[in-house]
Amino acid sequence: MSKGLKADLAKCTGCQLCALVCSGTHVGKFNPSESRISVEDVFPEPGEFKLSYCTHCDEHPCVESCPVEAIKLNEGLGTYYVDKEACTGCGACVEACPYNGCWMDPSGAYAIKCDLCEGNPQCVEVCPKGVLKR
Amino acid sequence: MMADGYTGKILRVDLTSEKITTDNLNREWAKQFLGGKGLGARYLFEELKPGVDAMSPDNILSIWTGPAAGTMVPLTSRFVVVTKSPLTGTFLDSYAGGFLAPEIKYSGFDGIIIKGKAKKPVYLWITDSKAELRDAKNLWGKDTYKTEELVRKEVGHKYARVASIGPAGEKLGLISSVTADLTRNAGRGGTGAVFGSKNLKAVAAKGTMGVEVDNMDEFVKMAKEMILKDVVENPDHAGMITDGTPIIVDMSQNAALLPTKNWSSGEWEGSAGINSDALKSRVLVRKKACFDCAIACGSWSKVKKGLFKGATTEGPEYETLGMCGSNCGIKNIEAVVKFAEDCDRLGLDTISSGNVTGLAIDLYERGVLTKKDTGGLELKWGNEEAYGKMPAMIANRQHIGAVLADGAKRAAKKIGKGAEKLVVESKGLEYPAYDPRGTIGMALAYATSDRGACHMRAWPVAADAYGSGDPWSPEGKAAICVEDQTRTSVKWSFIFCDFYSVNFANMAKYYTAVTGAKSSEEHMREIGKRIWNLTRAFNVREGFARNDDNLPERMEKDPLSSGKTKGKSVPRVDFERMLEEYYKLWGWDAQGRPTKKALEEAGLKDIVPKLSYLK
Ligand code: SF4
Ligand code: SF4
Repeated sequence: MSKGLKADLAKCTGCQLCALVCSGTHVGKFNPSESRISVEDVFPEPGEFKLSYCTHCDEHPCVESCPVEAIKLNEGLGTYYVDKEACTGCGACVEACPYNGCWMDPSGAYAIKCDLCEGNPQCVEVCPKGVLKR
Repeated sequence: MMADGYTGKILRVDLTSEKITTDNLNREWAKQFLGGKGLGARYLFEELKPGVDAMSPDNILSIWTGPAAGTMVPLTSRFVVVTKSPLTGTFLDSYAGGFLAPEIKYSGFDGIIIKGKAKKPVYLWITDSKAELRDAKNLWGKDTYKTEELVRKEVGHKYARVASIGPAGEKLGLISSVTADLTRNAGRGGTGAVFGSKNLKAVAAKGTMGVEVDNMDEFVKMAKEMILKDVVENPDHAGMITDGTPIIVDMSQNAALLPTKNWSSGEWEGSAGINSDALKSRVLVRKKACFDCAIACGSWSKVKKGLFKGATTEGPEYETLGMCGSNCGIKNIEAVVKFAEDCDRLGLDTISSGNVTGLAIDLYERGVLTKKDTGGLELKWGNEEAYGKMPAMIANRQHIGAVLADGAKRAAKKIGKGAEKLVVESKGLEYPAYDPRGTIGMALAYATSDRGACHMRAWPVAADAYGSGDPWSPEGKAAICVEDQTRTSVKWSFIFCDFYSVNFANMAKYYTAVTGAKSSEEHMREIGKRIWNLTRAFNVREGFARNDDNLPERMEKDPLSSGKTKGKSVPRVDFERMLEEYYKLWGWDAQGRPTKKALEEAGLKDIVPKLSYLK
């Protein structure tokens, strides 16, 4: 079982409050481009929303793909996070992830992905429609 | 950069010389006028020469965000187009939600001021502190859906957000709108025509710079609590969350003030086919929110079968259901979905378009218009096929559309033969979907609205026809209008969505959270009063006076024909009484002009020398 967020996409309204709280708490700025969850609205066709985030999958190919071992284990949660200081910004993990779960920060300097907010994901708390679950 | 919600920068674009510059935000004005409506009004008052032709290069077109746009203050991701209206000649502020406002902020700008006229069609592309004018040759003639798609491709950002005009704005129709994110319109007053007159097809933005607030940790805590307690669990929002604005169709039908068949009745026998239940059971696909919204009032709809199969829209919203539904004698929501989609694509305001279409059908039924005028269409009540062709006819100025494109007042004047008597407008802006003969306070709200007949400045109908008050008593209506106009002036400056029922105290709380500066309920009220006095002074400077705060003849002389409101009208004496009371409450003179004292008390001393009537 992956340890990441679960989403009931049928309920999502595309408000991006999840991305706002994520960027606010991770980088001290409101900026969806720096969020670890990304919301896409695809209209008029097919008329749906897509959420992308690290599912904390069991195989975690991102970890193996990293040439400098910058994706490290958070022992408490049993999930992997990107150590921003160690990351060289090569983008190998972005390529390796089959779920579109990690991507580059807009600066291009390092990769970003969901770290589950030390076990208390802020997006889950904020989502007004109950889409996201831990 | 100060961490106070503002970016501190204004983008200035001169289309004539193709020069683009960045200016510092006037911080003093930001304190006095907040953002959005207020700040836009202050800049326009300062920089627009009085009396200029709204369609000339001398008019100023500006786009503003609020200090909270892009932050977690819920329901504040709106932008406003501020300009002088070519439809009314007044101050104009038209708002749209969607996703553009945060991108303007994240690109580093609080507002955009556009002057002059481009030699050929262009669009403005803004990203991360930079902006450029780009050739719009390939976009000209395209509808807004296609324009968005092409602009995104050209600028290479899948999620660049685009506000554009369609053929209606290009052809300078005075009821044309600016459409953002497919379905969100800065609809009223002819914003699209101002874009068109400047050869400006679109404004697009994508920013990655973010917005900072005073104290992020405190802010997130506050915002999380407010989103839950003041938005999601607020009983005022229950209907907006489950249904959105279509819920108002039944409220208006029950109060018999739902505009029907060109304002002849307040009850519509077909209302069950265009109400919220019809929407939910027949066309709803899913709920959809604007950026930063915990309500998600939007309904993404799609027609499943019949003549209009495949048509999609977000909504239709109440105003569209009323003006393009019942007012056009339409019984099926599918037809309204199609009409709404066409209006969005072509860049037409649905309130005005529903008004002129209802008028045209009425005139056809009376024999004033014939098939010669309609391009062969049998334009009768209930002919959905003919009705469905109207948006294109208006936008492209074909047949009778050539005159309808400039709004009901101008159209009726050109058509003549008694058409003028059928029109319902104030200052040239057609009435929205609350018939004052079923709630007479709305006549005052429409007459005194700064941009012409508008339901978004004051909404006395809530307390009487929809509540427990007496809808036909003039008592207390002036006070409601003054209070509402004060509050909405602040709301439209933040810029909050109409559907967040946010009070002064909470606006003060948000202001402090964003900017770090002290605020209070009283502080917010002062700002609201300042802004409303300013837009009034703007209009007086443009030559508007008491006569223009008008009651359309029909409201007085042509009583409604069925149900609770049968035989009801708006008595002239009641209207005049409300108006006089209203001027007094604002401290204005008998002509409805802000006095020197009123302006000084509102903190507008510096504009006094610019108003010739005060000399
Ligand atoms: S980033 Fe992708 S590959 Fe790595 S753990 Fe998350 S989902 Fe798996
Ligand atoms: S906060 Fe919830 S409803 Fe809003 S975009 Fe995120 S998942 Fe969807």
